[in-house]
Amino acid sequence: MSTADPRHSVFPEWLRKGLDALYLGAGYLGGIFLVAIFVIMLSLSAGRPLGIDIPAGDDFTAWCMAACAFLALAHTFRSAELIRMGLVIDRLNGRARHIVEIACTAIGTVAVSYFAWYAIDMTWTSWKFNDVSQGVIAVKLWIPQMAMAVGLALLALAFADELIHVLFGGSPRYEKPPVSNDEELIERIMESGA
Amino acid sequence: MDASHLVEVSGLILGSLLLLLVGGVWIGAALLICGFIAMQFAPAGIQLGAALATNAWSGAASWSLAALPLFIWMGEILFRTRLSDEMFRGLAPWLNWLPGRLVHVNVLGCGLFGAVSGSSAATTAMVAKITLPELKKRGYNERIALGSLAGAGTLGFLVPPSIPMIVYAVAANVSIIQMFMAGLLPAVIVMGLYMGAIVVWHLMNKDQSPPPEPRMPFRAKLKETLNLIPLALLILTVFGALLLGWATATECAAWGVLGALVIALWQRALTWKTFIDSIMGATRMTSMIMLILTGAGYMSIAMGYTGIPNALASWVDSFQLSPYALIAVLTIMYVLLGCAIDGLSMIVLTTVVVLPMIQQAGFDLVWFGIFLVLMVEMAQITPPVGFNLFVLQTMSGRDSLTVAKAALPFFFLLLAAVAVLTIFPDIVLVLPRMVYPG
Amino acid sequence: QTAWVLPSAYPPANYHVENLMQFAKDVDTASGGKLKITVHPNAALFKAPDIKRAVQTGQAQAGEVLISLHENENPVFGIDVVPFLATSFEQSKKLYEASKPAIEKALDEQGLKLLYATPWPPQGVFTKKDVNSVADLKGLKWRAYNVGTSRIAELVGAQPVTVQAAELPQALATGVVESLMTSSATGVDSKIWESLTHYYDTQAWIPKNITFVNKAAFEALDPEIQKAVTDSAAAAEARGWELGVEKTKAYMETLQKNGMQVVEPSEELKKGLADVGAKLTEDWLKKAGADGAAILDAYKKM
Ligand code: NA
Ligand code: NA
Repeated sequence: MSTADPRHSVFPEWLRKGLDALYLGAGYLGGIFLVAIFVIMLSLSAGRPLGIDIPAGDDFTAWCMAACAFLALAHTFRSAELIRMGLVIDRLNGRARHIVEIACTAIGTVAVSYFAWYAIDMTWTSWKFNDVSQGVIAVKLWIPQMAMAVGLALLALAFADELIHVLFGGSPRYEKPPVSNDEELIERIMESGA
Repeated sequence: MDASHLVEVSGLILGSLLLLLVGGVWIGAALLICGFIAMQFAPAGIQLGAALATNAWSGAASWSLAALPLFIWMGEILFRTRLSDEMFRGLAPWLNWLPGRLVHVNVLGCGLFGAVSGSSAATTAMVAKITLPELKKRGYNERIALGSLAGAGTLGFLVPPSIPMIVYAVAANVSIIQMFMAGLLPAVIVMGLYMGAIVVWHLMNKDQSPPPEPRMPFRAKLKETLNLIPLALLILTVFGALLLGWATATECAAWGVLGALVIALWQRALTWKTFIDSIMGATRMTSMIMLILTGAGYMSIAMGYTGIPNALASWVDSFQLSPYALIAVLTIMYVLLGCAIDGLSMIVLTTVVVLPMIQQAGFDLVWFGIFLVLMVEMAQITPPVGFNLFVLQTMSGRDSLTVAKAALPFFFLLLAAVAVLTIFPDIVLVLPRMVYPG
Repeated sequence: QTAWVLPSAYPPANYHVENLMQFAKDVDTASGGKLKITVHPNAALFKAPDIKRAVQTGQAQAGEVLISLHENENPVFGIDVVPFLATSFEQSKKLYEASKPAIEKALDEQGLKLLYATPWPPQGVFTKKDVNSVADLKGLKWRAYNVGTSRIAELVGAQPVTVQAAELPQALATGVVESLMTSSATGVDSKIWESLTHYYDTQAWIPKNITFVNKAAFEALDPEIQKAVTDSAAAAEARGWELGVEKTKAYMETLQKNGMQVVEPSEELKKGLADVGAKLTEDWLKKAGADGAAILDAYKKM
């Protein structure tokens, strides 16, 4: 692994840049939905004494929650913040590590693609059945469900992207480089939710 | 399913999960795969993929779960403020009379920070970055300083908001709010045990304590106390909004974010860049946790289809263990697991199988959630994988063994807390039942 | 031997689930053990909003759900929550008989077969002050959780408040919500007497749970097993309606025992609510069109 150049890419430059921008863009979109959760919840709460209600505000919050979490998945993966256990693999080096990384990325690609496929299928079925939400406002369910389908599809794409990258000898970009200082280490631990 | 087949199938599922996790597969993906394996033992004709999508969607598109990203965001904002410095200055003048003096700042500070952070490592780091240098400067015993920090930092999980509580609540299908309420009194007990232990240690090791601080006039003390105002106002805002009927329990999270933003703006600690960083940091952590929750949810319904957990529960039930014996066995299992794996994995890995046993034995699921959170807290301070130890190791420059040894007494105090709560379960349950009947 | 999975969103102690368990046992006996139905209560497999969809798409063979949850999808599913249209168990049963063919048809188009329907207790108004006319509801923070309750708020001038069911007890305790329309069952489950004082037994509507099966799964059964299912379903339906009446009485007694004033609404309040009901029936007819009008005609003739 140590010989591989982390920036080495099997894709042409424009495709590489396009994919990375796609993951990042979806991540920012997820961030916007986080702010939306904040705004809706606060309006629901602060609106009550003022006599203002957001009809189906609970539904909209729930959909923003799903959108926030799923749209940012690919960006989170590429920022090396989807957690995995390092107990054993961190002790491996060179060829053994490379093989394990290929296996992990391949398993991840299969699992996530399966999930993404059925998320798309669910959204498509909602559209076909003309499913609507059950609250005060009837919203066509395929619209909020799109966020989950798109987010998972992007994650599957990012996984496949990494798999190809690692197969062709690149070093994984879903792994952060070893920590260079203490603050970084602490920040990493905090990112793991521990 | 007969007992031997049952053991085979559950062994296959849990074995695959362990193999995938140890092999470095992302936790969420590993759970999805094991859910898929478990689904093979479901009644014929079930659409596996569709069940996964339905479950993932209804799990994620959830009103009460939306408190999670907000609490994380609140922590991200506060981490960028001067709150921990102010906390130290506000608490310190009042602890001079107590044997152990400023060491108690560790415990009280972590308790207070626990109320604004859902993470144990973040709580430890935020308090340690101020108290470690201050205690060292004054000549306090390093071992007690490090140990109390490691132990008290885990209060980040027991005092609400708490990430493992949310993960457990989702996995066990209990109310997040009830979990939050249930943590309050046990947190007081743990703090009491810690502070009591610090007092005893100092009475036994009087030579190891630095001389008392110069006496401070009462007015000066009061003036220093004013430093606690922002933190106090923040905690008051969150709980006040709830009690005054401005907000439902979930909406409190939004008030918390608002309070954190106000503090950060007031302290001029927020630039556009750090603001965006805080949003994106919270979003990524939400994504990360959601993938795990989704995997855990799928695995849990997959096991539900197979009927394994219930069968396993009756099997364990056939041994006629007393409830206390069951808890003792589980405690040993979790302590061992907790040495090697992180808290979130511990919860998602075990709840599916353990919960039916617990219910069969007549334990309340909210009570068990607190038990599990305490197990996760213990896992934070046991080597080789203990995140609080990592944080303190880094911040103090000591090797991991030193920090782990310093934390050991506090590990046993947590164990004592578990015993207390097992014998008097009402300590856990009285608040959630009061706030949330039914 | 065939195995079916039947998810329900309610806890095992709920009378609907007890009835379901008995139904599953009856089917087992009547089919000579050839069809085993495993009931998964407590939303353990699927949450309430997802159960119908799960059965439609083959994630479970059968299910139980509060049918009015799906009123946005098809007005026929919401006929039992049109306020003040059917205000007693007898009327509600008639309304169900009148609407049954339309409901069966709507379900059939979705690949589902109706097995049986059973009632919840009637819906009344909980408040913490005297309410003698609809004018007294003006300005109260009123929980709006579906089209009907939101429209009632609009018509009586109450302030609609959005609060999820899970947060209801806490919202009541802290005054986020001051009044709501729900059943005596929900009142008891959320220990509503800890925060509110009055229960007006308006019997505004009687919501129903339906138990249904995936049509393909049903048709795959041998005819005699199909008969075992439909016979057991008929028995469960009869049992469910009796249970509904019985439990309602018990719930009202529990409310009273805990110091709640259980009040028969005044004539003036009844009159005001009937006016509201007429408007809401009109609303419903607009959505349901000619088919809806036919159901109402049939109902009125019964
Ligand atoms: Na906390
Ligand atoms: Na550990």
